[in-house]
This record gives sequence, structure tokens and C-alpha cells, in this order.
Amino acid sequence: MSRPRRGYPDLGLGVGLRTPHYPHLLGQATRIEWLEIISENYIDSQGRPRWVLDQLAERYPIVMHGVSLSIGSHDPLDFDYLHKLKTLASAVQAHWISDHLCWTGVAGINSHDLLPVPLNEQTLQHVIARVHTVQDFLERPLVLENPSSYVTFACSTLTEWEFLTRLTEETGCGLLLDVNNVFVSSVNHEFDPHEYITHIPADAIVQFHLAGHTHLGTHVIDTHDGPVVDQVWELYRFASQRTRGVSTLLEWDAHIPPFPVVEAEILKARNTVKPPRHTAVGRQVPARPAADSCAESGIKSSAVPQPVVLETVDAE
Amino acid sequence: MNAPPLDVLQRWMLAVIQNPQGVEPGLATPRAQQEIPLPPGHLEQVILPSSLQSSVQRLQVYQQAYFARLLECLQAEFPALCVAAGEEAFRAFARDYLQAFPSRSYTLTRLGDRFPEFLASSRPVQHSASATPDWTDFLVDLARLERCYNQVFDGPGEEQTARLTGEALQEIASDQWPLVRLQTSQALRLEQFHFPVHRFATAVRKQQIVKSREEAIRPQPTWLCISRANFIVRRRELTSLQFALLSAIQRGERLIDALAIAIETTSEAPGSPLDIPDSARLTEWFRDWTSLGLFTEIRLDGI
Repeated sequence: MSRPRRGYPDLGLGVGLRTPHYPHLLGQATRIEWLEIISENYIDSQGRPRWVLDQLAERYPIVMHGVSLSIGSHDPLDFDYLHKLKTLASAVQAHWISDHLCWTGVAGINSHDLLPVPLNEQTLQHVIARVHTVQDFLERPLVLENPSSYVTFACSTLTEWEFLTRLTEETGCGLLLDVNNVFVSSVNHEFDPHEYITHIPADAIVQFHLAGHTHLGTHVIDTHDGPVVDQVWELYRFASQRTRGVSTLLEWDAHIPPFPVVEAEILKARNTVKPPRHTAVGRQVPARPAADSCAESGIKSSAVPQPVVLETVDAE
Repeated sequence: MNAPPLDVLQRWMLAVIQNPQGVEPGLATPRAQQEIPLPPGHLEQVILPSSLQSSVQRLQVYQQAYFARLLECLQAEFPALCVAAGEEAFRAFARDYLQAFPSRSYTLTRLGDRFPEFLASSRPVQHSASATPDWTDFLVDLARLERCYNQVFDGPGEEQTARLTGEALQEIASDQWPLVRLQTSQALRLEQFHFPVHRFATAVRKQQIVKSREEAIRPQPTWLCISRANFIVRRRELTSLQFALLSAIQRGERLIDALAIAIETTSEAPGSPLDIPDSARLTEWFRDWTSLGLFTEIRLDGI
């Protein structure tokens, strides 16, 4: 049996490193305990992004979170990309390397989206084989995140938690449990998020993600554009009770506020994981809240599912 | 319906979500039908509906997100081009570009690699190669400039190593000048344009009111040196002679040869008579270029 957390430490509370926060993080002390980077923004950088990362790696533990591994794709794994991941991880002493249970493209094309895999035995065996290959190459357990998803394939025969449980058992990979994604998918696929979290192997969870989302009435989009909603905090509390202390990170990728706002939001997690004052958490499919006031039918212009990750140029 | 193989399902889904017309037109394309031949109205055989959304609406989330995400990235990479073209036209160009050149890289920083080339190839046919540069040339120039800024911004540079100072140049003995070659910064890019697009790009970045379109697109041969200092992309207007001189230095020519080549090539070009610089002006040029960090090392032949 693999060790709990795959040997990875509890780093405490962290935030995703984003360009607008570079000056604050370089210039001031903060109360956050670690940083997560979008791997693709740094593996090729020879400019300011990489310089900033090198400075911050001396002050904060770093975790690398990727969006292009495409572990579920039928395309061959990109070993050039893996080599770059490994090199950067070594340079900044990344505590672990994570990505998503998804595919991002096929036939050489990258959609830059986290596309869902059909959850069945065929896909499971395909992903298991690829996780083994990646872990052998990286010489460390890979950590995979449950994505938000918006479609259910007719050929799916497993629940996502069954798929992830089998995957961790077969490969020893770790899980990045995105609590917001559990909520988003629970609305979109009409399942009980507490049942999901109950069935996920707690000792495989290396990290939690928290984020905001956009509710459009008929479905929820994982937009990372606001604070964490109460229902997600409640799920986080529930998940934390099962894991007893796991690195937790806030992602805020659109309409990014000043750093102190992001910092204050993740620090709420400290109070959230304290024992609840009242009744135990109920287990049910989330009630359908009203759509966000600004959302209309279809996708509002700002409701782009994550990831959108791009460094912007500083030029005269 | 039997479960489609993973590769078939993935190629089918990508074909549908990459269609800018929407899910239903995407389903009907030969590219999608070749993978999973679905009759109209049978998407439920592959994508299940939820109690609140049809199968088409669910798949539409990915189809709309594909374009929304990548257009957002292209707008971030080409902000001045977006202003010049207008958002609607920019998005139309970008949508066509994404169809012609979908991303094949793990990183979004490469998304716009071929956008200038695409814009140039999309222009209406010009009847004369010597035609006056027009609005399309302006947009292509702007795209080239902004792509260049991106490459310089995140490409190699020398912020963490010592660059050549003006004092170091002054210390070169006069009898050694014929032997001198200068190593240029890895960040240095020398680019030629039909328009002074850098002024337009800077105005957009500084959120200044851009002058009238007619004034902005008045053709003017423009030579730029683009470099990076303290991780900020810098640009400097050059004369054609300065451009030729720096180009020769960048190619590794000795200074004395670089100057001769620059004078020769520039004097052959049509236009105003060449103003050959004296040593005082040359000193001034090199002082300026050194302050920009364009040179990293002095090399003396045979030493």
C-alpha cells in the first residue's frame, strides 16, 4: 500500500501564482504558505516569468500544476514536454507535479481545454498505462485533479469517483481534489457531491483546490473569477474531516483582485476546517440556486471555463 | 450504439467543438461524420442530456469555450491589432486563423506564432508589387510587431549577466578598432516595417487616444531595434543606415566592415542621399545602443 499523501507534505494554505501579483509577492511578506504555478507559463520562459519564479522559489514552497499533459488523450505522450517539466521541477524544487484527468487534444491539436474522458474500462486502462509511464519518467508520483465537466458520455460506465479510486489503486498516483470542481460537476451531472467525496480514497488526496464558479441556472461553469461560495466551503469542510490536513490552494484566474483579497479568501480555510458548530453536513444533490444575476441564457461572455493562462507582455 | 474507441470519440469531439458555426453544424461536417456518423437529432447516442440541458446544449459549453478562450488569448497577445482592426473584425480574423492554424503546442504563448503570416496571406490580391502599403499592410505590420514583443519578452536575455558598458567601449585603443567585433544581446531583434506601428502600439498600451486612422496608417518606412532591459521590452527607431550597421554587427562582422557594408547597402537604396556619420556621431550612436544593453561582449580578432 502506498504511503498516505504519496509522501508529499501538508504545505498549508497557498494560492496560484498569477502575473498581477508579482509585485506584491516580490515586495512584501504575506501570510500564505506556498505557491502553485501553471507549469506551461514557466517551462520555456527565459524572461520575467522565470526570473520571478526563481525569486519566489527561494521564499515559498512551489508546486507545479499543468494543463497540457493530456493524460487521457489517445495521442502519444509528449516526452519533450515531460522533460521540461522534470527540469523545472528540479530547478525550483517543486514539491509535486500535478495535472488533470482529461485530454486537451488529439491528432496533434491542442484545444487548451480540459476535455472530459469517457469513464469506462477502456479509458481507465489507457490512463493507468500512461500514468505509469509518466511517473517512471518523472521519478515521482503524479498528482491528478478531478476536472469540472459539462457532458456525460453515453459510453461511460463508471462514476468519476470509481474511476479515480481505481486509478490511484493501480498506479499509486496522488489526487488533487478540486472541491469546487466536485460541486460544479455535481450540479452538471446531478449527483451528490458528498457521496463523491465519501468514496474518494482520502489517503490518496495530496491537495485541495478551491475556486469560484458561475452558476447559469441550467449548469455551472468553473470560471475561477470570484470568491469561494458557501456550498463549496461546506464541501471543503466535509472533505477536510476525511483527510485531516491537506495542502489547500485557492485559484483565482479571471477578474483577479489585488493580492490581499486573494490572500484573505484562502485564509478563510483556517476557520472553515474547525469543527462545525451545528449539525453534521447533509448529503444531497445541491439545490439549484438561481442563476447569477448577470448570467443570461447560454454562456455569458466572461464565463470561460478555466484554464486561461497567459503571461502578458510588459513593453514600452 | 457500441462504445466508440477512445481515439474516434476524441477526434469526433474535437471536430465538433472546433466548428465556429456551432455544435449542430459541427456534427454535420464530413470531419465529424467520418468519425461517428450521427444522423441529425441523434447526439444523445454519444452525449447524454441532463434534466436541464439537451445534449447539444451540453456540448455547446465546450464549443463556445474553445473559441472564447483562444480569442481571449489572441486579444491579450495582440492588443493594438485588436484596437486597429476593431474588435469585431479582429475576432473574425482570429476565428479564421484558429481554423487554419489550430494550436499544436502545449503552451498558449505559441498560439499567435503564425497570425502575422495568416493575415498577410489573407489579404486581397495586390495587382502591383510596388503598390503603396495599405491598411492590410498596416495590420500585418502591427501583428508582426506585437508577435516580436512577445518573443522578446519571454525569450533569452542578459538581465542577470553584465552587459557591455560605454566605458568598456571607450577603453578600446584606436589601433584595435579594426579588429573589434561586438557580441549582440540575445534579445536584440531588428525589424523593418512599412508604417511606424510602434507608435500606435505604444499609444494603445498607454491607453492614449489613438489619432485618426488616416494619420495612423500614413506609410513611412520604419526601422526598429527591439530589445529587453529589466524584463521590459524596449524599442528604438533607427535610420536605415543604423539598421544596416546593427544588422551587420549582429551577423558578426567586424565594426569596420559592418560600417562599410551598411554604407554600401544603404547608399544603393532609393531615397534621400546618404548622410555618412562622422566619428562623433558614431560615438553617440554606440553610447545610446550600449545604454540600451544591445551589446554583451567585445571580441578582438586574433586576441
